[in-house]
Amino acid sequence: MPKFDVVVVGAGNAGMSAALQSQLLGFKTLLIEQHNLPGGAATSFVRGRFEVDPSLHELCDYGPADNPGDVRNMMADYGVKAEFLEVGECFRCVSTYRDGSPMDVTMPAGIDAFIDKMEFYVPGSREKMVQLFDLFQEVLDGIAYITASRGNPDKNILGTTYANMLKTGAYSTQEVFDALELPDRCQDILSTYWSYLGVDMEHLAFIHYAAMVHKYTSRGAYILKHTSHELATAMVERFRELGGEIWFNCRAEEFLFRGEYCCGVRTNLGVVDCHYVLANINPDIIYGKMMPKELVPEREKKLVAARDRKIGGRMYTAYFCMDCTPEELGIHDYTIFLPGSCDSPTEYAGIMGGMKTNNFSIFNCYNIAHPEFSPPGTCVCAFTTFGSPVDWNDLKQEDYFKFKEAGVDKMLANLKEKLGVDLSGHIEEIEIASPWTFARYLGVPEGGVYGYEPRDWDGMMARMQMIAYDYPIKGMRPIGAAGPRGDGYAASMICGRLMALNAALDMKKWKEEGGKA
Amino acid sequence: MANLNIKVSADPRIDMMKFATMAKVREEAIQAAPANEVNGVFPINENAKALHPDYLELVIDEVIDRGGAQAKTFVLKRADGAPLPYFRAGQYISLKLPLDGSFVTRSYSLCLSPKEALAGKYAITVRANPGGFVADRLLAEKKPGDKLVASGPQGFFYYEKLRDAKTVVGLAGGSGITPFLSLAYAIRDGIEDFNLTLLFGSRTEDNILFRKELDEIAAACPKFKVVHVLSEEEKAGFESGFITAELIKKYAPAEGEFSVYLCGPEAMYRFLKPEIAKLGLPERLFRRKLIDVTKTPWECEGYPAECKGKTFTIKVKQGPQEWTIPASADEPVLVAVERAGIKAPSRCRAGECGWCRSRLLEGTVFIPQENELRRWADKHYGYIHPCCSFPTSDLVLDVPGVFF
Repeated sequence: MPKFDVVVVGAGNAGMSAALQSQLLGFKTLLIEQHNLPGGAATSFVRGRFEVDPSLHELCDYGPADNPGDVRNMMADYGVKAEFLEVGECFRCVSTYRDGSPMDVTMPAGIDAFIDKMEFYVPGSREKMVQLFDLFQEVLDGIAYITASRGNPDKNILGTTYANMLKTGAYSTQEVFDALELPDRCQDILSTYWSYLGVDMEHLAFIHYAAMVHKYTSRGAYILKHTSHELATAMVERFRELGGEIWFNCRAEEFLFRGEYCCGVRTNLGVVDCHYVLANINPDIIYGKMMPKELVPEREKKLVAARDRKIGGRMYTAYFCMDCTPEELGIHDYTIFLPGSCDSPTEYAGIMGGMKTNNFSIFNCYNIAHPEFSPPGTCVCAFTTFGSPVDWNDLKQEDYFKFKEAGVDKMLANLKEKLGVDLSGHIEEIEIASPWTFARYLGVPEGGVYGYEPRDWDGMMARMQMIAYDYPIKGMRPIGAAGPRGDGYAASMICGRLMALNAALDMKKWKEEGGKA
Repeated sequence: MANLNIKVSADPRIDMMKFATMAKVREEAIQAAPANEVNGVFPINENAKALHPDYLELVIDEVIDRGGAQAKTFVLKRADGAPLPYFRAGQYISLKLPLDGSFVTRSYSLCLSPKEALAGKYAITVRANPGGFVADRLLAEKKPGDKLVASGPQGFFYYEKLRDAKTVVGLAGGSGITPFLSLAYAIRDGIEDFNLTLLFGSRTEDNILFRKELDEIAAACPKFKVVHVLSEEEKAGFESGFITAELIKKYAPAEGEFSVYLCGPEAMYRFLKPEIAKLGLPERLFRRKLIDVTKTPWECEGYPAECKGKTFTIKVKQGPQEWTIPASADEPVLVAVERAGIKAPSRCRAGECGWCRSRLLEGTVFIPQENELRRWADKHYGYIHPCCSFPTSDLVLDVPGVFF
């Protein structure tokens, strides 16, 4: 039976990061992945003469060399080399203001430029926007401090240096916007980003929103030059180079225990013994399907019940490989948000009501960020919206393909109506991915790539404060978007790294205590 | 941040307090919930698994001899008769066959209406292929009651209304008729909605596969037409010779766009390539089902001539296991792996599906240009599709696992 120090289950962003960190710490590490590709959502597929990135819109946490974000720093620490490109602008949003008048705004990257542009769209907003961005900065620094403290921050430092973070930290984004008395139109424009976290502004913790928006505006957004598969493969190859082992098409079927310690994994390629498992798997699935029921702690059962399957980001996406240029289509922006309204609770409720009431979509054109993304004279575009269990739970197989197409018809019609952009007659390849597709390839519950919604009592900060209490199983930690940092490439990678470091501390402690052999 | 002193509630002390009690509030929410057994089953995930299973265990229910067409149709079911995964007309399944110590895969298009899957029925048709390794064995040996392991439905050779023209001119040769038969049934059954005009090349009238079925669908369904093109006979009511650009134009709509779908043997594709070029279609209107990698790699541009006929050694790794096997330079790497009896993943065998994607740790391979469908990073970091990579040196190869 092969023996490893650490087995990382799932080569998604969190798993790859955890495997690299473990191997770098000197642990003999095995990374297993149930698909024949690394990356999870960070992947690509080929259709005809095109290669398509199925998930990444933009990384908020890479940044330029002189203002590096967590991802840039992590990749440097790991020795991973991949080529990133700056996207250029934050977003364009075409929708309707709450007063009923049409909105069409394009927001640039760079804090000053962002504030200037907001002043242009909403005269008189400058002072409030400067305050908001100051607050963002404090929040970001505070989170970095708490992460570095691994959940044990010094209360005095928090109370003095990060007082404004503390005072806003327990509130929703909407509550803080109201407290700051941000002008309505400012709020409408700023609400655009809610969908990246999948929780509307009334339920999304301000602290979480602040960290993300500050990163996008201050560091700019990035994509991979050759799709997310470039990053995934670069991470895997670096892991191999460091002596790590990776098995593809290898699925963890069951976690094995000796007493209360997790000590191995049963897979389709045999049983693997280990000291520690880092599982890039949603805890609902670990506890419900992959370990002895009697070993699931009472509190963990309660945690799962309290979350009540509030799964975030059930992706429903369509990819179009076009035989013409973006200019010929009249597309000039990389990311265009097309929400039915600027009222995020209404949009959220519309999404949860299924495609009959869902008026939300995001449109991307990769060639705007990277003109050579596809062969000369072509471009690749994508729609993103969210699915609802209302549609996808009971859908029959024989209705599946037509239902998928009908939703895309709706998004195409919306694109035509709002932007005058018509894709018909130029589509050379098309692929539609539903929550079923994401469930199939990633194994995530309901095809939700955001883990549990970071909502209300279960926000990012509250989770981070309880890292020492959640998931108390000895020798195993779940990692990924369901973890304390929430969803996104950067958050998942940070989570993977953090848990690999915590696993190392656990193993050190056992050794000192003469515990688990 | 000296000038910023935010107040969300009336009293900043309450704001601070709220932060200090976040963990407590969370713990209270958790403790208030019931300690139910965790249910790890989600309907969406179960749906995905049912539509896209790791593999299918099938039983041959019936064998239909196709007489002069030198083929047999194998009707397949599950042992318990339960519904099979629904599919897009034009898709294939990949059989996984133990054969004389080898372990091979072969893909066969499903040649029936997708609605039959709901009744638990698949069908594939195997045509005689003298000199081939698998087809003749299946024809000679497989009988009702025999078990087969197969993939779920795969492939991209299906109608897509957002991409394709409303009329498709289908070009079929030999056993390449099978996906078109499924497409024709799907049109008849109202599952697909487009016009299909099929130009079907056979050697002689007696040799036409599915003659009766095709004629019946055409009689019942005005959206489907079939034109038989005989290469070795001249007969009234038939076209004769080969399918050419002229013939396509003769049966294509006089006005408006049309798509061309092609499925046939390598020789047919080689002949038709310049003919289709004459039509001047944009790429989006031409779809082709890749059938197999070339049997004569040394005829491809860029092949290192000195390798022809040589035998190399491959060290194959899969999870904790390792083998050292011989490999002919004249066959794809996958064939050497299969001959050694190693269960490795593969489906399309033409470089398209990427299911066999493996890490080439050492050595070099030759990949024919038309099968070069790898991702950018896979090319950059040395991943190959063994199904269409020919060894040009000794190799060390890390292959993914299998689930069957």
